[in-house]
Amino acid sequence: MNVLQEVLQFLINALSLGGLYALMALGLVIVYGILRLVNFAYGELVMVAGYTLLMLGTGPLPWLIVAAISVGMAVLTSLLLERVAFRPVRQASATTMLITSFAVSALLQNAAILFVSPRAKAVVTPSFFTENFQVGGLLISKGNLAGLVVSLLLLGLLTLFLRRTLLGIALRAAADDFVMTRLVGIRANQVIAAAFAISGFFAGVVALFWIGRLGSVGPFVGSTPVLVAFVAAVVGGMQSLTGAVIGGYLLGALTVGLQLVLPQSLLDYRQAFVFAIVLLVLLFRPQGLVRGTTITERV
Amino acid sequence: MLSVEDLYAGYGAILALRGVSLQVKAGELVALIGANGAGKSTLMATIAGVLRPFRGQITFEGQSLLALSPEEIVRRGIALVPEGRRIFPSLTVAENLRLGAATRRDKAAVERDIEEMCTRFPILGKRFHQPGGTLSGGEQQQLAIARALMARPRLLMMDEPSLGLSPILVDEVFAMIRQLHKSGVTILLVEQNVERTLDIANRVYLLNTGRVECQGTPEQLRAQVDIVGAYLGDMWRGD
Amino acid sequence: MIGPLVILASVVHLFGGEVLQRILTVLFINLVMVLGLQIFMGNSGVVSFAQIGFMGIGAYASALFSMSPQAKAMALRNLYSWLVPVQVPFALAVIIGGLMAALVAALVGYPLMRLSGAAAVIATFALLIIVHTVLINWSEVTNGPRTLFGLDGYTTLWVSVAAGILFLLVALWFKETPLGLQLRASREDEAAAASIGIDIVWVRWVAFVLAAFITGVAGALWAHFITSFSPLAFYLPQTFLIISMAIIGGSASVSGAVVGALAVTAIFEGVRGIENALNIAAVFPFAVSGLTEVCLSIAMILILILRPSGIMGSRELRL
Repeated sequence: MNVLQEVLQFLINALSLGGLYALMALGLVIVYGILRLVNFAYGELVMVAGYTLLMLGTGPLPWLIVAAISVGMAVLTSLLLERVAFRPVRQASATTMLITSFAVSALLQNAAILFVSPRAKAVVTPSFFTENFQVGGLLISKGNLAGLVVSLLLLGLLTLFLRRTLLGIALRAAADDFVMTRLVGIRANQVIAAAFAISGFFAGVVALFWIGRLGSVGPFVGSTPVLVAFVAAVVGGMQSLTGAVIGGYLLGALTVGLQLVLPQSLLDYRQAFVFAIVLLVLLFRPQGLVRGTTITERV
Repeated sequence: MLSVEDLYAGYGAILALRGVSLQVKAGELVALIGANGAGKSTLMATIAGVLRPFRGQITFEGQSLLALSPEEIVRRGIALVPEGRRIFPSLTVAENLRLGAATRRDKAAVERDIEEMCTRFPILGKRFHQPGGTLSGGEQQQLAIARALMARPRLLMMDEPSLGLSPILVDEVFAMIRQLHKSGVTILLVEQNVERTLDIANRVYLLNTGRVECQGTPEQLRAQVDIVGAYLGDMWRGD
Repeated sequence: MIGPLVILASVVHLFGGEVLQRILTVLFINLVMVLGLQIFMGNSGVVSFAQIGFMGIGAYASALFSMSPQAKAMALRNLYSWLVPVQVPFALAVIIGGLMAALVAALVGYPLMRLSGAAAVIATFALLIIVHTVLINWSEVTNGPRTLFGLDGYTTLWVSVAAGILFLLVALWFKETPLGLQLRASREDEAAAASIGIDIVWVRWVAFVLAAFITGVAGALWAHFITSFSPLAFYLPQTFLIISMAIIGGSASVSGAVVGALAVTAIFEGVRGIENALNIAAVFPFAVSGLTEVCLSIAMILILILRPSGIMGSRELRL
């Protein structure tokens, strides 16, 4: 491979992984921006979508339908959690909300252990996730390419939604100033539900690709996505959707880059390096790379 | 139209309103004046539903507002220009205006109203696609008023719309309020600029440490200049 | 408060079977852990997810100093040669474990103490992950992701009871020291505390280091109770367990830590009994597991919604 090919290969891999990471981070930040809730249970939405894939995957339905239902289940779960667990603590401190989400996360993981199995189970995924094709000496994974395209598409759709629809504008307004958003007549429950629905939607889409790559689903399948989302969101800026996207792509590039650069002995410590970066960002630039505009208290 | 009876409200254990009663009739411009800490903004926040009163009653067009959330109160026809303007800084002027009409379903009329606001406040037309956060204080004040008007409220509440503005802009804001009132909007105005306020109001309430100290037409208040002066000090003479 | 705990331990010691004694030993070790968390989180109002990392450091550090050279040769084949012959008495090894945890906390903690709220949680969470990654990969001293075995079971019921009561007194004392009072003032209102001259970062840091020491000691005690363990023991499930104890009992008071440790152990062991019974009776065609955590997380969510300050709130029981 020549240098150009290597660069292209790197770009495709980094953009594909980064796109997924960006979606993960967005799902977390869209809720945080409005509620100041760091949602630990976000990873379990990926898990719920994954188990739906598992259960319906062997049935007669075509994969795309199964995938759509799985995403729908993640959205429903996200809305349900908002209603049952997070709405009652909405007025409490950020810490109380966060610990609530931690407990919800533990609840869902252990419910999966209890009702499904402690072990990961193989999921039927379409073959294109593992297929590659060659273009001019480049080996491109179809799954990666699909992830790249879908993430860009969703980022575009989200941007349109946030700029063109009243609900989208209200979501951005709520991240600026929640009380004032209510004072122009936007229903608090409606914007918050919208944020949770989008969060669930992204978790569901991430699940399709994440579990497509892994080929299996278990109670802890959401741990890595939620950690990735934390890191990308903190680095990019918890208050900014743009920041989340930038953080996601940066982390994608960093992950693929470290894989190339680090010797094997240090590769094992990769996770420690990544989280050391998180610590440094929190210490020296707590607002992240992109500063948000939030000015007032929530709810 | 709006009636507040024996209202007690405050933050935590601090009582900021101690038995306030006031009335606003349709078509009136009623002003609330008083020194800092008199409870004017607390009263506004309580009517808007941001703050729950401890005791008392608030009715609007005969219906109680007490159990309603802020968003429902807006939907009943009360819009607020809040203290400190509180425009959405990351949203463009256009988006701020559009959100102002969030309670309305008549899309075509909303578009017309946005155009009308840009005529009435030309600076908003000029800054139409700029984020609200980049506007100057005076421009933000105009945007805040325009945003509230976009709801086509039957009652417009304004909390110190002239605060922090240059003298020329203060003139403009008061001219604007007078014009709004003439065009038929019922207004409840909180102001520190007493002289100016007495010029345009139909009736005035003077608030002091959470109570209505005196009330009446501007002429009646002017006649009691000693009392008013005692509570307002220098502000009596305006800026 | 101490009386009933000692009576409980005595009754179990005299009449309880081995299982009950082991449960109670773990209860007191967990109590030490929750007390460590309470000293920092309860007084400062800042949540730390890093505590279990300090527990891990205490466990491994104490093991390195208490194990005999022969045991090390068996279990840690790649151990640095200068460490192999080092062996000190159990009590000293435990203190070394606590000190190592405190040292790490002191080094990395100071800059972190500026953070509060969600940022503090994510930062301490990052710290936990870093410690965990290092424990898994530093195979020279931890045996990597594999189980470290060959420790002696020094931690008896009475050792854990003594540690529990000692640190209970420490936590009660710390709360009333000038520093503890300053810390609690900063919990109520950061800006006001800073304006009367309280150095928030400093007081938080002292509490953080003390908490890490106590948690490290708890880790050392646990290591010499369980005698073989892997880095997986020091991660999210254990973090969830002690945070649930602090939340359910109420983190603002030392009594809350005690009540929380008792309540959670009771729920945990009770439900585990049901779980085991179900499995033995083969009621379901599969092994029931996870029920304890499910019940615990539901209890925690209910507490957070209905009584966010925990069972005890900020009240203290009398000693």
